[in-house]
Amino acid sequence: MSSHNQQPDADIALRVKAIESLLIEKGIIDPAAIDTIIDAYEHRIGPHNGARIVAKAWVDSEFKQRLLADGTSAIAEMNLTGFSSEHMVVVENTPEVHNLIVCTLCSCYPWAILGLPPTWYKSFAYRSRAVIDPRGVLREFGLEIPEEVAVRVWDSNADLRYLVLPERPVGTETMTESELASLVTRNAMIGTAKVQLPSSPHEQAA
Amino acid sequence: MAIETSNQCMSAEQAEALLRTGISCRVDSPEPGKFKVGDRVRAKVVHVPTYTRLPRYVRGKVGTITKDHGVYVFPDTLGMRLDTKPQHVYSVCFAAQELWGAEASAKDTLHIDLFDDHLEPI
Repeated sequence: MSSHNQQPDADIALRVKAIESLLIEKGIIDPAAIDTIIDAYEHRIGPHNGARIVAKAWVDSEFKQRLLADGTSAIAEMNLTGFSSEHMVVVENTPEVHNLIVCTLCSCYPWAILGLPPTWYKSFAYRSRAVIDPRGVLREFGLEIPEEVAVRVWDSNADLRYLVLPERPVGTETMTESELASLVTRNAMIGTAKVQLPSSPHEQAA
Repeated sequence: MAIETSNQCMSAEQAEALLRTGISCRVDSPEPGKFKVGDRVRAKVVHVPTYTRLPRYVRGKVGTITKDHGVYVFPDTLGMRLDTKPQHVYSVCFAAQELWGAEASAKDTLHIDLFDDHLEPI
């Protein structure tokens, strides 16, 4: 199985291959079903879906209100719901509030909207430290949150999944919805980055 | 009584349908929740040897219900294939200082979704 930003070590890759072969041999899984799932996550599903939701919220204030009031149905209007995004909550970053998403239990993540979670999101270090020391974790992502800004950490340990609505950068007033969507990164929708203009200083990539 | 799950092989069409529609964990239920928005609650101090969605770091801590998400199946029992035990799920807000002590920022909060069975009134 392949995924973005992930290079399973050889041991894991071999183990997965061995298990997959056994499951196919015993008729428990159909390789065509596996191919369908891999193809969907490689070509159709990914952070570009979340970016479309964010850009629409930036240009359409009524949609934004619906999105913040009931994320699930507003996202369904765009046909972007799906597996592991059945029950959505969208939280808004403002000059006073910065939101950060984590799942301390495992790696719950809005798959239909952001694709497969990055490796760091699943790491023990992120999952434990994001709740205890969110400001320290954000600093390591290159984000210094001023003392007067409240940090809200969302532990998505139940069956609701979370998406951060980042702040729209200043200087994007003339941009179209699709141009805006191209600015929105995966990390900005998890809360480990802000959305930047292409010309602004390059943010530390995670 | 254990909940039996199908051992049928999933087809490519079924996989596609699953990706598009997902699996709803919500249950239509008229049952009122044990708590309402604004209530102060304590996360129970329990040490179950089995599966739970109640993480250790909130046990015994006091927070406030900020939203009632409605009724969902209960993973703590469903995870063991025992019972769906549907119940209300709430967004519960804990002050960072309640969880981590005085060194945490007084402005910061932790929000977590907890089930009726995880909470007790104060």
